[in-house]
Amino acid sequence: MKVRGLAVLALAALGAAALAATAGAGSSGVTSSQAVSCKSALKLALVTPLTGGGGFIGQEQLSWAKYGVKNLSKKYGLKVQLVQVDTPVEKGPGEALVVSQKLISDQKVVAVIGPATSGGVASASQALTAAGIAQISPSATRTSLTKGANREATSSFFRVVPGDYVQGPTDATYMVDKLNAKKVVVIDFQEPYSVGLADAAEVVLKKKGVSVSRQSTSVNTTDFSSLVTRVPGDADVVFFPSQQPSDAQTFAQQLLEQGKKAKVFGGDGTNSPDQFKVAGSYVSNFAPDISGIASSKALIDGWKKDNPKATLGSFGPPAYLAVEVALNAIKKACDAGKGQIKNRKDVVKHVKKINLKTSILGGPFRFSTKSNDPLNAKFYIFQIQSNGTYKLVS
Amino acid sequence: MDTFTQLTLNGLTLGSVYALIALGYSLVYGILKLLNFAHGDVFMVGSFIGFGTLQLLGGSTDPVVPIWLLLTLITLTAMAGCAVLGVAIERFAYRPLRDAPRIAPLISALGVSFFLAYSMQLLFGAEQRDYDAFSLGNGVLFLEGFNIGNVRVPLLRIVIIVSAFVLMAVLWVLVTRTRTGKAMQATSIDREAAAMMGIDIDRVIVFAFVLGSALAGAAGVLFALRAPTFASIGFLAGLKGFTAAVIGGIGSIPGAMAGGLILGFAEAYTQGYISTKWSDLLVFVILILFMLFRPQGLFGKADIRKV
Amino acid sequence: MSGPSDWDDSLTTPLEGAAEASAAEGPTSPAVGRDEWVARHGERRAIRGGLLGTLEQRLAVVPWWAWLTLFAGIVCLLPVGFESGYVRRVAFDTVVFMLLALALNIVVGWGGLLDLGFVAFFGIGAYTYALLSSDQYDIHLPTLVVIPIVAVVGGIVGWLVGLPSRRLTGDYLAIVTLFFFQVFLTFTNNGDNVFGESITNGPNGILNIDEFKIFGWDISRSTSEGLFGVEYLYVALGLFVLVYVGLHLLNDSRTGRAWRSLREDPLAAELMGMPVNRLKLMAFAFGASVAATTGTVATALNGSVFPQNFEFPLLITIYTMVILGGAGSQAGVVLGAVIVSVLLEVLRDPGDARGVFYVAILLALVAVFRASWQLVAVLGGTVVFGIAAHLVAGGIDDRWTSGSVEASGRLGEWASDWVIVPASLAGWVPAVSYIGLVALALVLTLVHGWLRTALLVPTLYLAAFVWENVMVAHPESTRYIVLGAVLVAMMVARPQGLLGEKRVEIV
Repeated sequence: MKVRGLAVLALAALGAAALAATAGAGSSGVTSSQAVSCKSALKLALVTPLTGGGGFIGQEQLSWAKYGVKNLSKKYGLKVQLVQVDTPVEKGPGEALVVSQKLISDQKVVAVIGPATSGGVASASQALTAAGIAQISPSATRTSLTKGANREATSSFFRVVPGDYVQGPTDATYMVDKLNAKKVVVIDFQEPYSVGLADAAEVVLKKKGVSVSRQSTSVNTTDFSSLVTRVPGDADVVFFPSQQPSDAQTFAQQLLEQGKKAKVFGGDGTNSPDQFKVAGSYVSNFAPDISGIASSKALIDGWKKDNPKATLGSFGPPAYLAVEVALNAIKKACDAGKGQIKNRKDVVKHVKKINLKTSILGGPFRFSTKSNDPLNAKFYIFQIQSNGTYKLVS
Repeated sequence: MDTFTQLTLNGLTLGSVYALIALGYSLVYGILKLLNFAHGDVFMVGSFIGFGTLQLLGGSTDPVVPIWLLLTLITLTAMAGCAVLGVAIERFAYRPLRDAPRIAPLISALGVSFFLAYSMQLLFGAEQRDYDAFSLGNGVLFLEGFNIGNVRVPLLRIVIIVSAFVLMAVLWVLVTRTRTGKAMQATSIDREAAAMMGIDIDRVIVFAFVLGSALAGAAGVLFALRAPTFASIGFLAGLKGFTAAVIGGIGSIPGAMAGGLILGFAEAYTQGYISTKWSDLLVFVILILFMLFRPQGLFGKADIRKV
Repeated sequence: MSGPSDWDDSLTTPLEGAAEASAAEGPTSPAVGRDEWVARHGERRAIRGGLLGTLEQRLAVVPWWAWLTLFAGIVCLLPVGFESGYVRRVAFDTVVFMLLALALNIVVGWGGLLDLGFVAFFGIGAYTYALLSSDQYDIHLPTLVVIPIVAVVGGIVGWLVGLPSRRLTGDYLAIVTLFFFQVFLTFTNNGDNVFGESITNGPNGILNIDEFKIFGWDISRSTSEGLFGVEYLYVALGLFVLVYVGLHLLNDSRTGRAWRSLREDPLAAELMGMPVNRLKLMAFAFGASVAATTGTVATALNGSVFPQNFEFPLLITIYTMVILGGAGSQAGVVLGAVIVSVLLEVLRDPGDARGVFYVAILLALVAVFRASWQLVAVLGGTVVFGIAAHLVAGGIDDRWTSGSVEASGRLGEWASDWVIVPASLAGWVPAVSYIGLVALALVLTLVHGWLRTALLVPTLYLAAFVWENVMVAHPESTRYIVLGAVLVAMMVARPQGLLGEKRVEIV
C-alpha cells in the first residue's frame, strides 16, 4: 500500500470511528424500561418518505406535523421535539425497519407518527411493538394491515384514517347507485396503495353486476394516451386511485381530448382542488372538506400563515390529528406516571383509549375496539363543479 | 379502425419526442463512442426550465403574451439552457476522460445523471409540475383541431409533431450542409484523420453536445405540454431514448429518427392492443433480442475494428 | 515482493563508472548500467526515508490475511463497544454492502465489464430465498440447504445474463444488462398475476420470511424488545470472511491472472489464447452468485422482500463504493463500502451531517495541500472571510443573519455565528446559490496557481452557506448528490480509487 492510501485509510478509519461514536452516543440506553421524565424534551418521530417519488406526501405531513407540535405541545404543557425520519420509497419498505432501530435505541422517542406507507408498517411494526412504541399512521391504508387472519401490523399500530376497506366499497356503491354505472374501468398503478384500493372497489362492483375492466400502468407514467385509448367509448366511470392529483387532471383532460364520455372518479390521493379540477369528475375523501368545517378554520389559517406557499392537500391534516392523538396519550401517560413515563407501553394504552371531542377532520374521534382503526369512519364524495370547487354530494 | 388511428396518433406523438432524445444520443455516440447516460436528465432539466419560464410569463391561466409566442419562448429558453448544460457536462465530466479506458466516461456519465436528478429534486422538490396546457386560451389547444374519421386530432398534438419534425429537419440541414456539420461527420468516421486534416476536434465535439442537448431541451418542453414532469423522469426518458437510438442504429442520424418513431409506435400498439401492464416488459425483451441479433440497429454499420 | 536485501549482491553494486555516468546525465535519465538496477531506479527514489518510510516498508510486507483478521476482529468487537441496536444494524448493513462490493468487484474490477443490472442478482437471491423459506408456496427448507441453492441459482442467472457479452462490447453490454434490470423490476412488480398465479406477490412483497435456522438453532432477528438481533451480524461477517478468502484465492490463481489480462486488453488476450468468452461468463457467474448469497442474509434479517428494495439508486451506491475504493482491489472496495455506508447513515440526520461536511472539507484540504503554509492560509482566510461577511451582512440587515440552523448542537451554534443564515429565504436564493456554487467549483478546476488558492476561500464560504441553508434540510437528496459528485470526481481526478492500481491505457 502506498503511504497516501495508508494515510487516507487511517484518516477514514478515525473519521468513521468518530462519527459512529457520535451516532452511538446520541442513543442512550437499551431497554424500554427506563423511565423518562416528562419535563425533559420528548421526541416524536415522523417516519415518512420525505424525498423521492413519494416525497410530496411526506412533505405535506411534515408541515402539518410541525404545526401540530408547535400548537399542541403548548396546549398540553409538554416539551416535544419532532424528529423527521426519511424513508424514501426508492429504498423500499425495508428502510422503515432500519430507521426504527434508531428510534428504538433512543429512549426519548415515545411515539412514532407513521410509518406512512403500508409496506413500511408491514416491515417495521413487529420491532416497534416489541419495543413498546406506539405507531400512529396518518396514511397507511392497506386493509390487510389490521384486518384478516394474517394481519401484518401489530397491536401497537393505529391509523387515524380509515383503510381501503371503507373507501373502496363506498366509492363503488356510489358509482352503482348514484351514477348508474354499468361499465367501469378500474386502474391501478402497480404500487400497494392503488392496488389495494382497486381490488377493494372491483370486488364490490362485480358483486353488483357491473362490467369491470381492470387496467394497470406504471406509477411513473404521466402520459396516459394509450391507456385512455383502451377506455371503451361506452364506459361510464373510470376509477383512478392515484396519489398524484396532477395525474388525475391529465387523465381527465386526455379523456376529453379523445372524446370519451367516461367520468373520472379519484380516491383520496387525488383530492386537491388546486390541481385536480376538471368539471364533472368525482373525488372521495375521508373527511368533508375541512376548509368548510368551522372548528377547523382557525387551524387552517394558522397553518397557512406558517406555510404561505404550500397548497392544502389531503395528506396533511391527518398528520395533525395523529400528532394530537399522540400528545394526548403522552400527556395522560405522564399524569398517570406522576411526571414520568415509566414505560413506553403506557403511551400505547392511552392511545387506544383516546376520545377527542372535536378533531380537525370534523366530529369526535375514537378508535374502534375491535381493530385499531377509527370508529365509524366514513368516506365523503365530492363532485367537481364547473368553477373547479368541490361540492359534497354524499 | 378508430382505435388504430388513435393509437397511431399516440405513437406518432410519443415517437417524435423519443426521436428528439435519441438524436442527442446518436450525435454524441457517433463522435465520442460514449453513451451519455446524463442525456435523459438534460431532457428533464429542459422540461423544468420550460415550466419556470411559463410561470415567469404569467402561467397557463394568465399568460402575458399570445399563445404561439409563449410556446416559442418556452421552447427556446429550454433549448438554450440545456445547450449550456450540455457544454458544461462535456467540458468537466467527459473531456478529461477522453483518453481513459472506455469504462471511465460511462461511470462519470452515471454520476452526472444522478447528480442532476437529485440536484433538481433538492432545489425544486419532488412534486410533479404540470404545465396545464389545457388552460391555455381556455382549452383551445385541446379542443380545436381536425378529425380523421371519428378520431379527433387536437391542435396541441399537431404542434408537437410538427415542431419535432421541423427541429429534425433543421438538424439534418445543419449536419449535412454546414462546414461544422460535415466536420462532425468526418470526426465520427475517424477522429485522428479528421484532426490531421485540420479539424478542431474540441469545437466539433462541443457543437455535437450543443445540438444534442438543445434537442433534448425542446423534447422536454414538448413532452411536458401534454403530461406532468418531475425530477426523476430523466432516468426513464433516457432509457427510452437510447433504446430508440439503438434500434435505429446508434451513431446514425436518420437511424435515430426512425428508431424514435418505431419505439413510439411499438409502445402505443402494445399498450393499446395487448396490455398496459406488460408493455414495458415486452418492449425491453424485444430490444434485448434486437441487440443480440442485430446490434448495429437498422441503419447503423457493423463496427469493425482493425487490429 | 523481496526487498533490496534479498538481491544478488552483484546486481546491487553498479558497474564502475555507472554512478558517475548516471549522475552526469541527470537523476532521471540513466545512462549505463545493468538493466535491473537501472530499472529499479525509480522505485528506490520513491522510498521514503525516516520513520514514515520504515513504517511503510514494514506495513507493505504484512500479509493480506493479517489485515483481514484485524478488520474482522474490530467488527466482532463492535457490539461490545456499542450497545445501541441502531449502530449494530448499521454495522450489519455495512457488511452486506461490503459483500455486494466484493461481488461487483469481480465483474467490474477484475473482468472490466460494465454490468448495470447487478442489483437484479441481489434481488434474485433475495426472492429465491423468500420463495423457498416462507408461506408463499409453503416451502420451508432448512437454511443450510437454501443458501447453496440460492448461490447456484444466482450463478446460473449470472451465466445467462453474461451470454450476450460474447458478442457485445462495453457500451452495448451495459445497455443489455440495464434492460435485464428493468425486466427484473417489471417482473417482480407485476408478478402477482402471471396467468392467474401470484409468484412474487407484486408490490406488496413477500412477508413473514423464515429466520435462519442453522443446526436446529433458530437465529431470531430481533430481541424481545425489538432490538436488532446481533447474531446476524456475526453470520454476515462469517460469510464475508469466507467470500473474501475464497475470492482472494481465486484471484491469485490463473483465473485471476487471466481476468487481469482480459481487462487490460481483450483483443490481445484473445490472441494469446485466453478463453475470453468463458472468462467473461465466469466473471458474471461468480459476481451474481456472491450477490445472490448476500441476498439471503439480508432478507432473513428483514423478514420481508419488496420489489422497491432493488432500485437504481442502490446500484449507483454500490458502484460508488467500488470506484471510490479502487476497482480491482479487494481491500479497496471493502474500504469504499465502509466509507460510503457510514457516510450515508450519518447523512440521515442533519446534525450529524453537518459534522461530516466540515470534516470532509478539512480532509480534502489536507489531502490537496498537505501540511504547508498554503493550508493554513486557506483555512485562516476562510474563517476570517466568513466572520467579515457575517458582520457585514448582519450590519446591512439584521434579518439576514438571525435565522437558525437545523438541529443545532455545539457545532450548529458555532456554524450559525459564522455562516450567514437568513431568517427566511427568498424563493430564488437556494437555486441561485447552489448553481453558483457548482459553477464556481467548476471554474476552480480551470484556473491554476495563486488564483486558484485565492478563489478557494469564497468558494468554501459559499459551500458552507449552501450547506447550512439548503442541503442540510434535505439530507436525503444531499445523500445522492454527494454520491453522484463523488463518482464524477473520482473518475476525473483519481480513477484508480483509493487503493487501486493506476492503469495506463496504451492506445
